[in-house]
Amino acid sequence: MSLLKWINDISNNERSRKAWFSLVCLIFVIFIIIPSVFVVLKMFTEWGIVHEVFKDPVMMSTIEGAIWNSFSIAGLVTIIDILVGIPMAWIFVRKPFKGKRILDTLMDMPLAFPTAVVGISIVMFWGIPDGISIPGLGVVVSPYIMLILLHIIFTYPYMVRSLSAILEQIEPNYETAAMTLSASRLTAVRTITLPLFRAGLVTGTILCFARSLSETGGTFIALQMMGVDSTFFTGPTFIAYMKAEYGADVAMGPMILISVLMIILALLLLVVVKVLIMRFKIPVKKVWPQLGRKVSRGAVPKLKDVFSIAFLVLMVLLPTFYIFTFLTQPMADIDYGALLSATGISFLIAGIAVAFNIIFGTPIALYIARKRNTKLGKILDSLVNVPLIIPTTALGFSLALFWGSIYAGGSLSLMMVIFGHIAFTFPLVVRNIAGAVEEVDASYEEVAITLGAKPFQAFSKVLMPIIKSSIVAGAILAFTRSLGETGATIAISDSIKTVPVYIMDLIKLHNYTEAAFCSIILIAICFVLMFAVRILVNRGGNRA
Amino acid sequence: MKIKLENISMKFGDFYAVRNINLSISKGEYLTVLGPSGCGKTTLIKVISGIWKPTEGKVFVDGEDVTDIPMEDRDTGYVFQNIALFPNMTIKDNVGYSPRVKDLPAEEVDEIAKGHLELVKMFDRAGMFPSELSGGEQQKVALARALASGSKMLMLDEPLSALDARVRVELRYEIRRLVKKLGITVLHVTHDQEEAMAVSDRIILMRAGGIHEVGTPLDLYRNPKSIFAAYFIGETNLMECTVSGKTKTGRTVVKLRGGPTVRAAKSDFEKGDPVVISVRPEHVYTASDGIRAEVIGAVFMGVYWRIRTLAETSDYIDYNVSSNDEVPQVGEKVYLVFNKRATKVFSRPTEGLEEAIKLE
Repeated sequence: MSLLKWINDISNNERSRKAWFSLVCLIFVIFIIIPSVFVVLKMFTEWGIVHEVFKDPVMMSTIEGAIWNSFSIAGLVTIIDILVGIPMAWIFVRKPFKGKRILDTLMDMPLAFPTAVVGISIVMFWGIPDGISIPGLGVVVSPYIMLILLHIIFTYPYMVRSLSAILEQIEPNYETAAMTLSASRLTAVRTITLPLFRAGLVTGTILCFARSLSETGGTFIALQMMGVDSTFFTGPTFIAYMKAEYGADVAMGPMILISVLMIILALLLLVVVKVLIMRFKIPVKKVWPQLGRKVSRGAVPKLKDVFSIAFLVLMVLLPTFYIFTFLTQPMADIDYGALLSATGISFLIAGIAVAFNIIFGTPIALYIARKRNTKLGKILDSLVNVPLIIPTTALGFSLALFWGSIYAGGSLSLMMVIFGHIAFTFPLVVRNIAGAVEEVDASYEEVAITLGAKPFQAFSKVLMPIIKSSIVAGAILAFTRSLGETGATIAISDSIKTVPVYIMDLIKLHNYTEAAFCSIILIAICFVLMFAVRILVNRGGNRA
Repeated sequence: MKIKLENISMKFGDFYAVRNINLSISKGEYLTVLGPSGCGKTTLIKVISGIWKPTEGKVFVDGEDVTDIPMEDRDTGYVFQNIALFPNMTIKDNVGYSPRVKDLPAEEVDEIAKGHLELVKMFDRAGMFPSELSGGEQQKVALARALASGSKMLMLDEPLSALDARVRVELRYEIRRLVKKLGITVLHVTHDQEEAMAVSDRIILMRAGGIHEVGTPLDLYRNPKSIFAAYFIGETNLMECTVSGKTKTGRTVVKLRGGPTVRAAKSDFEKGDPVVISVRPEHVYTASDGIRAEVIGAVFMGVYWRIRTLAETSDYIDYNVSSNDEVPQVGEKVYLVFNKRATKVFSRPTEGLEEAIKLE
């Protein structure tokens, strides 16, 4: 209690608040931003070895191919997500129906699954993997199409969630007003709601694009199970493959080059996408009253809803849950010791990363939410997105180079992996908290302070209880994201075996059944944990 | 347009928002739907305009059953409480929205938009966006937008409640002037009884999903048929008492709590009937004899003072004093008398007075 009192007292001092915030900003820049983009600097200092790569035409064409695959898959996946995401967001926000809550919960599950698990599950569902006796559909043999199907699973929930968030804020009366003015539902949506949608579309596009670009674990496993992991590459799998096959020292040149290319192209493309979406005008002048009425009633809207839900079930949920068919198989021999130690390491990493992000991310989130229009607010707002946009494998590689250049020893690799996980989950925590704080009227805290609360008390006793659920949501999102991450982990260290890395190793050895059972155990642990957190938080809420 | 409602009910789950509403509205009539929050006012006009389909009953417009016609084909103007101008369009595009979605030629759309902007004197704002206008201006544009649909019936859903007091008063006369000029049938929803009295031809007083009382503003004020109407429209003193007899001229004599008797209006009540009398503050005067009361407060209302007293009957009785006259001091003893002709007598509600005037 005396510590709390000390914090309360010290928070009353303007200068100590400033000092604390400066420290937070410093940590943000030194531990997150600079390591994330350090590889770009490295390209200039190591220009010699990068230059060598240009002279190797085979290597160059492989890199070009990998980058093309990454970006074209991300692009196609995002477009598909937008097309099926918009009607789905409508269903979630505007339509009450039975089983909505269940569907709502189910939709987030792919986010909670370790990506490596989804990788196994989807190849089993669509393809014909060797060495697995459970029958799949066996329709997809092209790795390119398989990766699109896989990445839709990882990105679709992000798109629907961001579109729903915006739709939630758009006054439903606009559409009603338009319809009392004789517009059909379709015309009303097209001329009023869709044009107001752009902000959500930008967020959704950025999230989906970045997520698809970053995806390593599931992608690598899918390619491996299809037996094309040494011939078909995306940017991240190329880095992972080079590192595993040749080691970081030998493959330094190509790895730096592809990382820098991915980072720069991703940043560039996202600026372009943002401008394009904001500039692009949905034509609102021309209308077709008869056609509009025809497709706004009866079978067409029903078909659209059925199609949207069918897409969610058939393309997202079923393939994700297909791994559970392994439960019909005889139980595999599981190396429980190895699995437990991997689980322990995963939870340790995720736990520390999330705790760090809540402590150091909250002040930044508060600043972004409350002072968005100041210069520093704007800068922080865009900087926070940087680790989100950079493919995690490139980020991990960059981070390893940064800390490696400071301290070359091996025993700190666990710490470096933790730093990596801190970096790419940081935006998730900050975005969630900032979003929640923006919804809360600042006058609550002001009232608390006029009633004699110290600034920290105003935060901890007034604001925090209000935004608690968003903090928890952000923490769960970050935790599961960390738990599922493969790319950054293997890019940073070979020796740290987190669960996804452990499962990937099992797949490499074709121990599919064991891998599947490990995955199922991991999923079970995840859900029990998430459930426990929810209950704990709710109980706290009731008491207050 | 003539509107007729037959047995309209609207249910949400197990809850009736409105129940068994029957109503006829004549062409060009300005009708206000008045009532406390949650009484079903907005539900009623949403059903009439087709935004919601009633669970039971039928809506007729000019004799034609329109219950199953969707809202986009109803041709009913609707002005929303939160204004709901399309933020992505200019003022002119907002007003021209209805003719445009009906696919009228561009010149015609332009002409209609301009004409209606002039009608509400907002033509000089044509190129602006809604966010650049004040609340009152926005609501004028919303009115123009609803009128530009060419509809002959207009639903106003608490159109003024989001506006400043001064703007609210100006705009309500402006709206009435416009719709009367255009001969439009209006249903205006409000919870502000003063607004209802100022603009309407007829007031529908709603309570708990049903129509409680209907009449002209003057009727409802002077001759309310229920305690609730007397209480909700205007202000009044309500006192529980018992009939103690009749005068030769047929006036009811009632005995208030604590003994004093007063004469009230004529009524059919018999001696011994439990009743409630209602007397508006402007019909209460001080005199040299009457009900003894002690002044417990005075509030300056602008034109007059409202004096609150605690009477010997344990009732609070309010009366008015002109702002030019001397105001009694708190604690002063006064004698109160009523204008007996303006004193209404109601049967005492079995559920109790509190319950009879409860707003929700």
